[in-house]
Amino acid sequence: MEKVVIIRYSEIHLKGKNRGYFERIFSVNLEKSLKGLRHELHRTSGRWLVEKFEEGYAEEIAGRISRVFGVHSYSVGYLTDSSLDGIYSAAKLVAPRGGSFKVDTHRGNKGYPLTSMEISAAIGGRLLSEFPGLRVDVHQPESVVYVDVRENGSALVFGSFEQGAGGMPVGVSGKGLLLISGGIDSPVAGYMMAKRGMTVELLHFHSYPYTNEGAKEKVKELAKILSRYSLVTRLTTVSVTEIQEEIHRKCAEELNVTLLRRFMFRIAERVAKEEGMQCLITGESLGQVASQTIEGMTSSNAVVTLPVLRPLVGFDKDEIIERAKKIGTFSTSILPYEDCCTVFLPDHPAIKPKLAYVESEESKLDVERLVSEAVAARESEEL
Amino acid sequence: MIYLDNAATTRPDPKALSQAETYYSENYFNPSARYGGGFAVRRAVEEAREELLALIAGEGYELEFTSGGTEADNHAVLAAKRGNAVTTKGEHAAVYESFVHLRERGTEPRFAAINRDGSVDPASLLSLVDEKTSLVSVVHVNNETGAVNDIASLAREVKKKNPRCLFHSDGVQAFGKIPFRLSPAIDLYSVSAHKIGGLKGTGALYKRKGIALPPLIFGGGQEEGQRSGTENVLGILDFLYAASAKFQTLEKDYAALSALRGRIQAILSESGLFTAISPAEGSPYLLTVASESVRGEVIQRMLFDRGVAVGTGSACSSKKPYSRILEACGYSRAALGGVIRLSFCPQTGEEALDAAKLLAETAEEYRRKVSL
Repeated sequence: MEKVVIIRYSEIHLKGKNRGYFERIFSVNLEKSLKGLRHELHRTSGRWLVEKFEEGYAEEIAGRISRVFGVHSYSVGYLTDSSLDGIYSAAKLVAPRGGSFKVDTHRGNKGYPLTSMEISAAIGGRLLSEFPGLRVDVHQPESVVYVDVRENGSALVFGSFEQGAGGMPVGVSGKGLLLISGGIDSPVAGYMMAKRGMTVELLHFHSYPYTNEGAKEKVKELAKILSRYSLVTRLTTVSVTEIQEEIHRKCAEELNVTLLRRFMFRIAERVAKEEGMQCLITGESLGQVASQTIEGMTSSNAVVTLPVLRPLVGFDKDEIIERAKKIGTFSTSILPYEDCCTVFLPDHPAIKPKLAYVESEESKLDVERLVSEAVAARESEEL
Repeated sequence: MIYLDNAATTRPDPKALSQAETYYSENYFNPSARYGGGFAVRRAVEEAREELLALIAGEGYELEFTSGGTEADNHAVLAAKRGNAVTTKGEHAAVYESFVHLRERGTEPRFAAINRDGSVDPASLLSLVDEKTSLVSVVHVNNETGAVNDIASLAREVKKKNPRCLFHSDGVQAFGKIPFRLSPAIDLYSVSAHKIGGLKGTGALYKRKGIALPPLIFGGGQEEGQRSGTENVLGILDFLYAASAKFQTLEKDYAALSALRGRIQAILSESGLFTAISPAEGSPYLLTVASESVRGEVIQRMLFDRGVAVGTGSACSSKKPYSRILEACGYSRAALGGVIRLSFCPQTGEEALDAAKLLAETAEEYRRKVSL
């Protein structure tokens, strides 16, 4: 008998002919998440088993598994031989010591001498006599002991189903470039796209010396947290200092942010295309700040051809915060920092900038030069 | 690199380091060890204690080594166990936050007003002292403005109103820089090694003999049971050598830096962008200036990239962008955006004038680019 982690996946079964491809990527992602821990990962019918790890690491392994997208649920349990004694010795370990319970048996091995009902009854009976505080309730039990008799002469015994991260394995849905500021929203946006199977890389804009190195350190910290889920590997940083100075010098103050965002989108698209990414991802939420109005989004979208995915567009701030807390990025996101905009922030930013006005102000700038210089000077690092 | 952030920390004095070197290469014994090596190290520590005492104090004082100025300040302030305790709005965070914490311990903290130059308003301070005051703490040299408080006379006045209360002063920016000796009304005085060429992690609390403070750190009973933990022997000896060197040339350095500071201030005033926050009669080791047209921390980063390190008056964060002390001085937030603190050491020479010119140019460039 040994401790194992049982992993069940979601949605992959929907994928018909692509299923093999999805499963391969899922398996690779599971392996990556377990890197550094001794273990064996085996696929069995419809699920994966993590075996041969040191028992004390069960919780660590379960924690890592819980963050892998594509995991529908997982259980920490025991792998034992399928004799009634073998099953019982495992059942004793996972069974509650009091309250109502039932044994729920699934029999993959149809040649087994007992039926599922008979196995449940036998194991349940022995548990009842061993633990006097237990009573059987097959309708609404407080606890369940699950027994899964497999075809190969072994059985899995476990006490609960834990909910996994859901979604699809990262890597099956293409690649996107996340514009990450260091605030609360963008990490959540990246998380949501990774959850749908997208590989996410990060692009951070800074305006040193108007902003400090702290902002970048913070983004790296966020990237580290995200990488636990989505295998984020690269962070690219681009300075927009000169662009901000130029806008500030030549254009209408109320358009500072609108114009800067257009530059950011252009730069992001250039970087994305050069690095083989298929879309941009932002943490924008409709109406949250002056630049996130539909007019603001229209003005940004107008300068790029790649799709811009905004998974948070319909979320309230509270909903985003709740998710950020769950993901674990919130406490880092709220550390004080200055993002690109604060030094040059206009007192009254334009809330509904007309595209024609934006374009005419922008025509005062050498857009092509500013964009290509910024892109050329970008810095990338593997995380 | 022209280093003008000596109030933050100083470059360790290389001569002191080489003198102290034996205490990590050979004489690394635990001073509490009961064999020859241990006794020798114990002797060195005790001699260092005596010599450091002699630098500013008479026989009525003893000295407790600490992990730095912050610990010394905490140890002194947290001795206030009853009634109220009085300090100023111009204190370093090590004292200020200790006072804030006093409230949780059941002692009422009181904060005296400060003048525009950062010095305490004596009338305000004395008005807060009453018969229930258990401790008064006044910074010797304000770390943001360089204003010098006359702590000897303040201590006397405080004791006239309440002879039983303790008087403490944070001397971190004064020790080894300002000509000064402890006078009997001052009970407790905190100092730090790394502000005068010593190492970080070393400080001391001067205490009038007979004052027993409740320990903050418990253990093997070192420092008369007042501060347990194996002594930081290397740090202590290095502190002694660095401090001794400073005290030898203290008066000469004071005069030279006073003259230099005047010339730097002239350059910055001439630029028309900066006005001095530091008082003319303040510590010559420090010159704080403010400008309404720049942001201090941006100028600081630009200057660092151009080879000059300076301080700012403000913590660099969007949550707390303005200096608590300078706001208490009565400056507007507009003025406080652009605070630059230049701080010196005896080795600072004419290169500081070039740095001042570069500061003026950089500020002008910023103004041109940003303020329009």
